[in-house]
Amino acid sequence: MKHIMSRKKFIRSVTCAGLGLAGTALLQACGAPATPALNRITLEPSPTAVPSAAPTLTHTPGAPATLPPSPSPADTPPTATPAPSAAVPYLAVVRGASAEAITRQAVNALGGIGRFVKAGDDVIIKPNICNAYHGPEYASTTNPEVVAALVKMCLEAGARRVRVMDFPFAGTPQKAYEISGIGPAVQAAGGQMEVMSKANYRQVDIPAGQTIKRWSIYGDALDADVLINVPIAKDHGSTRLTLGMKNLMGLVLDRGGFHARGLHQCIVDLNTVVRPHLTVVDATRILVANGPTGGSLDDVRVMNTVIASPDIVAADAYATTLFGLTPADVAYITIGAERGLGTADLNRIAIAEIEL
Amino acid sequence: MTPPAAHGTSSSRRASAGQRRAVVLARLRPYVQALFLILFITLIMLAWILGDRREWANLFFRLDPLAGAASMLAGRRFLPALLLSLLTIGLTLRVGRAWCAWICPLGTLLDWTPARKQPSAAFGPASPWRRIKYILLTAVASAAIAGSLTFMLLDPIVLMSQMAGRVFLPLLEQIFSLLERAGFAISWTRPFASQAVNLLRGTIFPLERHFYGGALLTGLVFAGILALNALAPRFWCRHLCPLGALLGLLSRFAWVRRRVDASCIDCGRCARLCPTGTIDAGRSYASDPAECTTCLICQAECPVSAISFTGGSIRPAPAQGYDPTRRQALVTLGVSLIGVGLFRAGPNSDFLNPHRILPPGSRENDLASKCIRCGLCLKVCPTGGLQPAFLHANGQDLWTPVLVPRMGYCDYSCHACGQICPTGAIPNIPLDIKRTVIIGKAYINTSRCIPWSEGRDCIVCEEMCPVPDKAIKLQETQVTTAAGQTVTVKLPHVERERCIGCGICEYQCPVAGEAAVRVYSPVVERG
Repeated sequence: MKHIMSRKKFIRSVTCAGLGLAGTALLQACGAPATPALNRITLEPSPTAVPSAAPTLTHTPGAPATLPPSPSPADTPPTATPAPSAAVPYLAVVRGASAEAITRQAVNALGGIGRFVKAGDDVIIKPNICNAYHGPEYASTTNPEVVAALVKMCLEAGARRVRVMDFPFAGTPQKAYEISGIGPAVQAAGGQMEVMSKANYRQVDIPAGQTIKRWSIYGDALDADVLINVPIAKDHGSTRLTLGMKNLMGLVLDRGGFHARGLHQCIVDLNTVVRPHLTVVDATRILVANGPTGGSLDDVRVMNTVIASPDIVAADAYATTLFGLTPADVAYITIGAERGLGTADLNRIAIAEIEL
Repeated sequence: MTPPAAHGTSSSRRASAGQRRAVVLARLRPYVQALFLILFITLIMLAWILGDRREWANLFFRLDPLAGAASMLAGRRFLPALLLSLLTIGLTLRVGRAWCAWICPLGTLLDWTPARKQPSAAFGPASPWRRIKYILLTAVASAAIAGSLTFMLLDPIVLMSQMAGRVFLPLLEQIFSLLERAGFAISWTRPFASQAVNLLRGTIFPLERHFYGGALLTGLVFAGILALNALAPRFWCRHLCPLGALLGLLSRFAWVRRRVDASCIDCGRCARLCPTGTIDAGRSYASDPAECTTCLICQAECPVSAISFTGGSIRPAPAQGYDPTRRQALVTLGVSLIGVGLFRAGPNSDFLNPHRILPPGSRENDLASKCIRCGLCLKVCPTGGLQPAFLHANGQDLWTPVLVPRMGYCDYSCHACGQICPTGAIPNIPLDIKRTVIIGKAYINTSRCIPWSEGRDCIVCEEMCPVPDKAIKLQETQVTTAAGQTVTVKLPHVERERCIGCGICEYQCPVAGEAAVRVYSPVVERG
């Protein structure tokens, strides 16, 4: 074999050439941009939703409005909190700039927090903290000032402890509590935020259930002395609106199961076993489109309103009017009324409408 | 943990100043090791709650020179974050392989694992087995030059991180789960269980159990490495560790080295105590600086204070019989390059996996050439959606992160993976931009979707979609069911220009088994 070059020399020259190439490639790459162009969607402004026609409220500054004729026995709320006397309105609607003030006025109009919370009670407040996507101004989660006002009132009534909780379907609870603003507001008011553990749900029989007869519900919500339901009024793709009756789904772990079996009936079935003592619908800001998650300020309407009632069906029924709808437009409200959970007929109940 | 035994010397001989210092340091060493091990595990446990400061959790990777060099080579990029490894390099050039005996968490665990005190002569100071770690280092470097980081699975910090994140911490979470369930079942322990949940769930432990593929495999490999101690103490460090090999190469130029002076009485004590077994009785108890881990046990135990660790010159230490020859190095280089070529010859991962969803920004960034397989992103992902690619992956992409929406979605308010990635394989994108980055596109399987196939309303996917103007829209349509009824249902449709592929629709879809809406790999322009 002809000897062209020694093996050593060949290997050395190849190695040097290789290193040289690698070196130049490396130096070239050092000039490369730090982050390459990302594959992204473009966010277009969402189409302006149809503005809701807010009904004109009859208002008397300060004092509660005049009451219609005393309600017939069929209209007394079948809840855990019977009215102390016929003079107290069935439902209160308060409108004003300060979220805390209107919340306090709404509860006072119903007879005061003492009607619902006694000294030494273990209170659970269930707001809507369904996701960790956006801040409170996007009307995807309950107004933190409304929640904080209720916390303060319960503590003023002598509650042993006031816990606030929800199980978001997106994001961790800690993140959701923080981003919604409810966590810091509740802690400043003296309440406790609680992380709902999967291990604390228990199977509960639903004897009056038509679609579901047994479901897993958060144990502490069933055991608490007082349960206060604080939903935010929002548009919803399936049920049209999500209000108080739907807000209770936050106390249930398997929500997909409700969707798969017929959402409206399952919501009503749930409401037959979970009976909040008071429902306060936050309509300070409402979400009129792309609910329940929202994300665009164009979908938010500032209504500066709070609706309160011990009857969850009536509270939801009134809330539909803020969107220019009627209770008949939301199936679970109608079914709830038919099944005796409350009344959806706004003409037959005493409503106090107050403007601050 | 073997603290040095008490001195068996005669009271008339005074230990030298150097030896007194060595005794103190040698006694201190197990505590320093424990500190670094606890720090290592704690940083990984705190990965989520460190929030915007969570890049601290990858500290050990930024100190690891092998991870730094390999990822910069393979990614063809200069990564300022990894400059921290210069500290380790500086330490090694000063005092030798001190990392191995004082800092390395795997080294600490190996020291604490029972080992065979007197290994067979085959694993002695001149054992050719010591060559293997240099071969493995060459393989890691060669593959990195060819753009592949798959061999980083051999890095000890990577192994420990995989172990901590996917075996140790999930086991801990299982124990906590049991206690939690018991706590809520008994009425008087319920308040304590509640408190524990508030403190630990969603912070240290994930909100619900996360499942990780390959946990058993990782556990077995790790157990295997510890079990090798049955053949010789620190078998991994002596014969296999590529990081040890890299630090060993640097240690050949170390300033401070072990020296044995003429007062040596041939008692053989140092040779018996050396954890890496590099003290050679046949060569006057000299040791190879590339193997010596500066544990100082020999100096502390010498009955005549004949051993010292002093500075001198930076002349390279003499070559050993087990140093790889040039031929072996070249063969390894060649085989590694061929190996990488074979990886590339197989179908690439996008063929094997039509649902290949990568963390935001990493697909555009050429993930496989920068990912050192540390597994921190898998650990920090709050929903447990990021999984190590294994079955449906090309060899190039082995153990890189892939999102499996049925196990966990990409949280709209989270960008933790990008914050924690030590090499920037997953870029650290600000949250408002990350919310617009496309990682996949959703498609509805109308034969499984409840409204489409059964004529009943469902709409969970539309409800959960986080994009402000939803990427799934509902249309009220009249359909005829199989039973012949005509009903009006709300049919979901994906508006694909707005879909970012986060996967919450697939995660929440109530259809059992394979979801009726699935996220597919995004369309990326070819070329």
